[in-house]
Amino acid sequence: MDETVGPSEMIVHLGPQHPMMPGPFRLNAKLRGETVVDSEVEMGWIHKGIEKILESKTYLQGITIVDRICYLAAMTNEEAYVGSVEKLAGIEVPERAQYIRVIMEELSRLQSHLLGMGEYASFVGFVSMFMYTIRDREDVMSLIDSVTGARVTHSFLRYGGVKDDLPDGFKDDVEYVFGNLKKAIDNYEELYSTDQIYKARTKGIGVLTADVAKDLGVSGPPLRATGVAFDIRKDEPYLVYKDLDFKVCTQTDGDVYARIQVRLDEMRESMYIIEQCLDQIPSGPIFPEDTPYGKRSPVMRVPAGEVFHRVEDPRGEMGFYMVSDGSDKPYRVKIRGPVYPTLQTLPPLIKGVTVADIVAIAGSMDTCTSEVDR
Amino acid sequence: MDEIEQTEVEQNDVIDVGYTDVPGTMLTDSNAICDFIKKTKVQDVLNWGRKNSLWFMVNAMGCCGVELLATGMAHYDTDRFGIIPRNSPRHADVLIISGYVTKKYLPALKRIWDQMPAPKWVICFGDCAISGGPFYESYSTHQNVDEVFPVDVFVPGCPPRCEALIQGFVELQKKIEAKKDKGTDY
Amino acid sequence: MDANSIISSLTGKFPEDIYDADIESDIRVIAKVKPENVVEVCRYLKEDLSFGHLCCEFGADYPDRNEIEVIYVIGSYDHPVVLTMKAILPRDAPEVESVVPVYWNANWYERETYELFGVKYLNHPNLKPLVLPQEMLGEWPLRKDYEGFPNKTARNLV
Repeated sequence: MDETVGPSEMIVHLGPQHPMMPGPFRLNAKLRGETVVDSEVEMGWIHKGIEKILESKTYLQGITIVDRICYLAAMTNEEAYVGSVEKLAGIEVPERAQYIRVIMEELSRLQSHLLGMGEYASFVGFVSMFMYTIRDREDVMSLIDSVTGARVTHSFLRYGGVKDDLPDGFKDDVEYVFGNLKKAIDNYEELYSTDQIYKARTKGIGVLTADVAKDLGVSGPPLRATGVAFDIRKDEPYLVYKDLDFKVCTQTDGDVYARIQVRLDEMRESMYIIEQCLDQIPSGPIFPEDTPYGKRSPVMRVPAGEVFHRVEDPRGEMGFYMVSDGSDKPYRVKIRGPVYPTLQTLPPLIKGVTVADIVAIAGSMDTCTSEVDR
Repeated sequence: MDEIEQTEVEQNDVIDVGYTDVPGTMLTDSNAICDFIKKTKVQDVLNWGRKNSLWFMVNAMGCCGVELLATGMAHYDTDRFGIIPRNSPRHADVLIISGYVTKKYLPALKRIWDQMPAPKWVICFGDCAISGGPFYESYSTHQNVDEVFPVDVFVPGCPPRCEALIQGFVELQKKIEAKKDKGTDY
Repeated sequence: MDANSIISSLTGKFPEDIYDADIESDIRVIAKVKPENVVEVCRYLKEDLSFGHLCCEFGADYPDRNEIEVIYVIGSYDHPVVLTMKAILPRDAPEVESVVPVYWNANWYERETYELFGVKYLNHPNLKPLVLPQEMLGEWPLRKDYEGFPNKTARNLV
């Protein structure tokens, strides 16, 4: 960004601590009157050096670290890490464990969308919506808690399986929670679609067209809101997603309203996937039989090689590039987070809008700063 | 973007602003009145008021920030204890360090702390803020936050549950009532 | 478009710049590229082979070979193949042409690789540190011989 200011121009720094920010980042916006003419994002306020730390941890210790890349999607981070090691080492996951993983990842997606949507609603001045979504999110959190024993950072996946089987009566709990949640989501949609002020603030704001979004490297709900049905679960199926029936939710407008609508639809699809899984889940072991996986403290050595494994995060495409040199620690791990390109698109997207719209656009992108900084 | 350095103004310079000639006002740079009040029953009444309205600063910095948000919202509803999330440091009494303090973020966090009006307290929420947690060996984080901020309560866990944060506030209330807190300059 | 036709098209167009091309599986292709011609190869990939989605770009340090690899992982919105392309640079003076004119989102990836590995990108629009404070520039923390890791300053280590 050019730092020189002309007549009737000023530079406003939003952040690193700002009510609009879900995590610390800084937006330097150059304003002329109330219009943004230029802007720049500064990152790195919570850069922790996870890629370096992972190089000094054994494969089993690494699972707890990757949880903390993005705290709202801990389960999909683990899936990407564990999945890439399993690809390198050639470990087959039993079918029951795969179903449990899918259930937990979709629950994770549900709670992430609920929090992201609520937070966004509070940014555009709809604070009561935040209260509603957090209320319903706590029910989902208690479901996750009952399986993994933790609310945010689970460390639940293991190489070749999962830590624990589903508890007794889990299906009944899920039915009860989802009964409430379905009504709640219909309720949110009604609230969003009938509020004239809300619609005036979001329709036609921050429009991203399909060509531009592809060019900028966006993935996840912001891309699907432009009409591109790009979903790793369909395009490059992992786990048992190819056996499950679900559709990729898309909208065509590409504005703030459409992104939220995509998230609402995705939550319904997630619930549908979990219900299917609970119906179809076979009985059996949760670790491959006659192997050391699942026993106490296996020292793993992974054959040398390189792999790129990607999964669908609540925010888009999450990938791990892993280089192994045959020892018990990874040689190099690169984390490809979904928000990294999405946050880069903020400066071109807010060019020409008014200051009040910055929060709506940034909030609808559902940025998770911790994952950008790592 | 070097404005952080500008705020590090000494407190003494701020007091001397030339109001001494305004009739009816008195300026002092000593704590004589506060020291006197401390010994009387008035301080007990003040502390009773302070401990029941601990407004905290929403400063989500890491995994613990998610639990911080959830604590202030509908389900756990800390409003009933007078613990209210505030977005501006000017409104807040409690700074919750909810994550890893990096070398880049420490000046900004200090500035937030300077902007908060006294009396004010600090809670270290989560292992990262206490000792570095899983990132203690990182090249980018600043360990030993308690050397920088006067921390009253440490809440361990990675991340701690929402109930643990409420328990941390209860401990802080007990400290304020017993006049053993270190964050406040009366 | 499948992996075989991609490899043959790529090596046919750039016989001197692309070497060690290999097919790992149906959806994974790997190749090495001469660092001088990265931008032309990327432009060809994007415009003719519909590799429009740069997944990531990063470095990897190999001190025993005295090399730094810059790795481009490029996917597509139209076909499922993901191409891993490596440019091998000397470790003492790593320099490579920036691909920002082709892939817009490479901007931050290159800034991050610059400050963590010391790879200098030529013709980059805004090459300055992204995640680290300015005074840490020059330490290249993700190189294998970095001395500030592990950091031992924490007082209450278990």
